[in-house]
Amino acid sequence: MDKNKHLESVIKTHQIAKEEQLLNKHRDKSKDVKESLEKEYGSNIYSPFNSGSYAKNTAINTKFDFDMIAPFKKNAFGSNGTLKDMYNNVYDFLYEKYKDEANVIKQKVSIGIEFFRDEEGDIVKIDVVPGRELNQDKYPDDENLNLYVYYKYGNYDAGSERIKTNVKAQINNIKDRATNEKDSIRKIIRLLKVWKGTKLNYPTKSFLLELITIKAFDNNDITGSLWDKLEAVMEYIRDEVTKENFTLKDPGNSSNDLIDTLTTSERQNFSNDMDNIINRIEDNDENIKTYFPENEKFIEEDNDDTYGDKGAGLFSIPPKNERFG
Amino acid sequence: MKLRLKDIALELQVEERFINELARIGKAHYPNEYGGFLIGYYSDDKKILTITDTILPKKYNATPSLFMRDNIGVKQHFKNFYKEKPKKYYVGEWHTHPNNKAIPSITDIKAINSIRNDKDVAILNPVLLIIGYTDNHTEIGFYVLIKDKIYKYEN
Ligand SMILES: [Zn+2]
Repeated sequence: MDKNKHLESVIKTHQIAKEEQLLNKHRDKSKDVKESLEKEYGSNIYSPFNSGSYAKNTAINTKFDFDMIAPFKKNAFGSNGTLKDMYNNVYDFLYEKYKDEANVIKQKVSIGIEFFRDEEGDIVKIDVVPGRELNQDKYPDDENLNLYVYYKYGNYDAGSERIKTNVKAQINNIKDRATNEKDSIRKIIRLLKVWKGTKLNYPTKSFLLELITIKAFDNNDITGSLWDKLEAVMEYIRDEVTKENFTLKDPGNSSNDLIDTLTTSERQNFSNDMDNIINRIEDNDENIKTYFPENEKFIEEDNDDTYGDKGAGLFSIPPKNERFG
Repeated sequence: MKLRLKDIALELQVEERFINELARIGKAHYPNEYGGFLIGYYSDDKKILTITDTILPKKYNATPSLFMRDNIGVKQHFKNFYKEKPKKYYVGEWHTHPNNKAIPSITDIKAINSIRNDKDVAILNPVLLIIGYTDNHTEIGFYVLIKDKIYKYEN
């Protein structure tokens, strides 16, 4: 078992480019959502933009999360309008607009539009994050937004209005780091996201995985093979994440500490999970496949004792014209 | 009824009633050929194909030795079948051979290959059902494409 070879294959089979088609679907839907918002809110909204994994350059293809930031003007919902008004208004609009083709869901700070499974069996999901500038017409200068917290989110209380963040700075920071240190940080982030994808509703946000990986590289001399680096990052998480003074500052807003999105017990679980992965792989290299599986969609199979498909689900529209004799 | 391939451990299940219904529909178009899309689903282990339904083409051309169908106007039906439980999907096609045997013609063999190679087709092993009939005799042949060969299912 060559752990490095396996890890490279995990990355390769999860590569975003390979699911170009799915990505295009996200782009199309995302464009549609953006245009609907612009049409509905006119001069009350600045141009919505993507801040999702793809824009961050660290996406994996098993699950795209496309965040779309919708920046509203301060008085878009009246001079006394609250963030809650903003959130509910955007929800109502998106619900009416997309209810026949998607599940529209209230989420922590966003509104999820999960389109129904399409012909190819793919699900496209776009999370719209409504944000409001701090002062009228100042967003183009400071790019700061207040978000509404719909329900309890780590240590933030439901209904709170306290998250404010410079989203573009977040994106640029990660993009720069990830591009410059492609061979290490980006691969590790990908691998951790692949691992997260094996869990159901794991509480660590993708953004947190990104920041913690960057922090691990910042604070340690992480070198060696891909496995060595991954192991070092996991050890870092295991050892640090439960410490009371551990912080993960949002580069877009240093008063926003991402570690606060996890409760104390979630931090403990995160640490335990890292410890468990390291130990199980130490016991037996093969266990690496459990935690970091390849994307089976792209492992080429040539079976002739089962009915086969092309790896993109089973739904087909038959060819347009076919001629039988 | 349950049909099997000789050398490959794959099965096909279909109700005799359903085949009889297809034959009845097909014969109504005598002397021309006629056909449609086959809908079904694979077992979880992908060893058994169950064929359950047909979608008939909205647009087609036929002569006694040719059947050309279009997919226009029926796409929503495929989507609806996919919403059922279990999910059902396009698994192949059927057509009649009036006054002829249930053996694939060269055109049929080309068609099944072109179906498998079509980028919008998800499955690798499309099935072809041919219903051959004369005044007093009806026979059916189920075929499947596996890699580059066509296999016939046996009783
Ligand atoms: Zn024929």
